[in-house]
This record gives sequence, C-alpha cells and structure tokens, in this order.
Amino acid sequence: MMQPAADPWGFEDAAVETWGDILGPQALDLALLAAFIALAMVSFSRKSVALKFVTFAAAIGYMGFAKSYLISITNIFSVIDLNLPVVKYNLAWYLFFGFTIVSTMLWGRLYCGRVCAYGALTQTLDAVLPAWTRVEVPRAVEKRAAWIKYGLLAGVLAYYLITRDLLVYQYVEPFWMFGLFGTTTMWVALGALLAATLVVRNLYCRFLCPVGAALGLLSYLTVFRIKRWSECDTCRICQKACQWGAIEGPKILMTECVRCDDCERLYADTARCPHWRIIDYNSKKIAVLPLLPVR
Amino acid sequence: MKRVGGVILLLSTVGLVTLAAQQRIFTNPRPEPYFKALFPAAVAFSPFGGTPLHYKAYAVDPKVNPAAAPIGYIFWTTDLVPQERGYHGPIHLLLGLDTHGVITGAVMDYNSEPYGYFSVDPPPFVAQLKGKSVRDPFRVGADIAAVSRASITMNSAARAVRDATRTMARAFLFPDQIKQ
Repeated sequence: MMQPAADPWGFEDAAVETWGDILGPQALDLALLAAFIALAMVSFSRKSVALKFVTFAAAIGYMGFAKSYLISITNIFSVIDLNLPVVKYNLAWYLFFGFTIVSTMLWGRLYCGRVCAYGALTQTLDAVLPAWTRVEVPRAVEKRAAWIKYGLLAGVLAYYLITRDLLVYQYVEPFWMFGLFGTTTMWVALGALLAATLVVRNLYCRFLCPVGAALGLLSYLTVFRIKRWSECDTCRICQKACQWGAIEGPKILMTECVRCDDCERLYADTARCPHWRIIDYNSKKIAVLPLLPVR
Repeated sequence: MKRVGGVILLLSTVGLVTLAAQQRIFTNPRPEPYFKALFPAAVAFSPFGGTPLHYKAYAVDPKVNPAAAPIGYIFWTTDLVPQERGYHGPIHLLLGLDTHGVITGAVMDYNSEPYGYFSVDPPPFVAQLKGKSVRDPFRVGADIAAVSRASITMNSAARAVRDATRTMARAFLFPDQIKQ
C-alpha cells in the first residue's frame, strides 16, 4: 500500500474517508430497507389486501426480528435531547426515521398501519386467529380509551425528563420483544398484553402506544387525506367497518387512522358504496337501494 | 380551541427541550479512581491537560526525577472524538494507552444508550479492548464482537476507541515504537 510521506502512521482508514468507505458497509442494509419501504408504499397505493399481508410478513420478519427497526419512545427522548446518531454511519436508520416522519405528515399514521413490526404482528394475529374471542368495544369506551396513549406519552416524557431513566421504555412498549431480550416480568406482561389483544383487536396500537400518540399528533398535518363523498354524511358503512375507531360520521379522525385502506376499498366498491349506487340508480332510473341507511 | 391546544403543545415542547438541554451529561471530572486499574505500575499521574486533553502516567514520580518519561496516557473518548455519538449521545469511555500503542485498559464510565445494557455495559465489551493495538482495525464483527440489535451503539463505541487511540498515537507516540 502506498503511504503519503507526510503520514508515517498509514492507518488503513487514513485521514480522508471516501464515500465508498462510508457507504460500503451500509449498502445491503440500505437496499433492503429501501425495498421494504417500496413494498409498503406499493401495497398502500394499490390498496391491495394481499400485498398488505406480504408487507406485514416483511415487517415482522425483517424490520422486527432481523433488524429491530421500530420507532421507539427512546427516539422521542433522543429528539428532545437533540442526541441523535451520527448521520453518515447510520444512513439506513435515518432513512427509516425520515420515512416515518414524512409519511406521517403526508398520509397519516401509515407507519402504525403497516411498517411497525408489532402492529403488523397483532394485525396478522387478528386475521389468522378465530374471531370468537373478540369483543367489540362500545364507541363511547373506545373514544375515551384512545386518550390513554396521549396520557401515557405525556407521563413517560415527564418521567424521563425528571429521572433521565431511558430504560423506562421497557415498561411502556413491547418492541424489545423483537430483540428477544427481556426479564421474566416483561415476558409475562407481554403475554398478558397479547392475550388481551385477542379480545380487543389492536389494543396496544389503539389505546396504549406512546409512539402512536406522538405520530397521532404529527398526523394533524396530514396532507393527503382520505376522500369522503357527500353521502358519507349519512352513511355508516365505513364507520362500522373501521377496526381502528377512526371514523365518526362524515369525519375521519386522522389521529386514530392508520391508513389500513379498509374504508378506501369500500369507497371504490361500486356494489356497496352508496355513492356509486346512487350514480348507478340515477343513470338507470331503476333498482332499489337496499343498502341506503335508514337512520 | 384546537389552535390554543397547538400553542400549548408548542410552548411545552420548547420548554421540555430547554429543560433537557440543561441536563446534558458532561464528562466525569474525577476519573482518578480508575487510573490504577489502567496502569497498575504507575506511581504518579500528571494533571489533566495538553492537546489533545489527557493525563500522563509515570512509573517514576516526576517530582523525584523531573526527567522521567511517561509510561502511558489516559484520556476520554469524549474529549478526543467529541463528534462521535451512539444511539443516544456520546459513549464515555476512559482509555489507557501505553507508549507502544497498546490499550492497557478501558473503563465504561457513562453512556445513555437504551440498548447499552446488553451491548457496551457488560464487562466483556471493555475487556476485549485491553491489549489491542492502535494498528488494529476495530471493526465490529471482525476484531470487536458484534452484538445483534445494538449495532448503532457497538459501531459508535468501536469507532470512538479507534479514532481516539489513533489521535493520541499521532500526537504522542512514534510509529517505529508501535507493537505490531
């Protein structure tokens, strides 16, 4: 190896670091993460159920168990402390973090709906396991329970700022499970949480997750909102279909919506959405509208 | 109503950030209790100073023999490479480096890594640094044991040790005295 005469040390990572030196070790990570983001965005833009479950599988396997790429309350601590990792050595982490922030501002809590490995896990469980254990939470309870996560977010932030105890994350979020490290108490608590999730679907995401609460606040900014028809003022089909309690009459609560596409698939369904049925009726001037709500 | 909520949220965020900034942890100003572990043969240590900042370790007290040469150097990674950060801020390692460019020991004094307790906090992490040369690559997964799901922390700590020891070597050691 040639050494410049001025540097008798000749350390192999000499003074000037090239982009090749920086990018080389990160290339695989970056490529796989970009591929995952592409998959998530294609499944989202195509409103495809099948692709959504492919995304869930990738989220659980790769983003969860393989890489533990999950937004954690500790990332919020880091932002508050302005204590973030070095950018050039952690490009994949910044791509992931940046994607979460930007996608939330553009479309809402898309991260919660299909990127978060824990959310993907509980949504997959929900689809796979029999439905007889499930209890539908009354709307009044659901609306109040949705506030718990904001209280938890405020409480954890206050606790952290007073005690500076970062490890509090272990007790308010289950994301450590993808690293498979935890004390017996933590595993027992996780077991209880998963058991409760069988009764109330997506329990943690809807009512408890402080990260979801933070992204919920950010989603006030959502640029591309879900389209509503004028018929939505009276129709309740989507409200009933929404697993997340995010639809209230004509309004979509962006803070609760995780962009699961269920309602958007209904809007596009010419056989079920009254919007299309009315158009169809007007064009044919025949047929009855058995699905139009009476209320 | 919503606007008022937004303003309150903004103000409290600004307040929290200010509060957080004031509580930033600074380097431990009293590392002396660690010195004997880093240089058991040393009988005296210089005050903190120099460029870059360090303590010198002496086998003969320079007060007795002013010509005594140091047998090694003690320094903080956070002083040598202050720009290096892990997952949540700098990892404060105290390092001992002898005149042959060999690390005589390392002390994990403080870090605020959320995943530090299973990566850089356990004693094997600093134990593997002892005896390494400034010429070693310090690459996680090669000569530094990798810890899965703590790669940001591990990579940062390894870079901090590599860059800090090399900076000290360039400043105080001679290439022909380095143990290969």
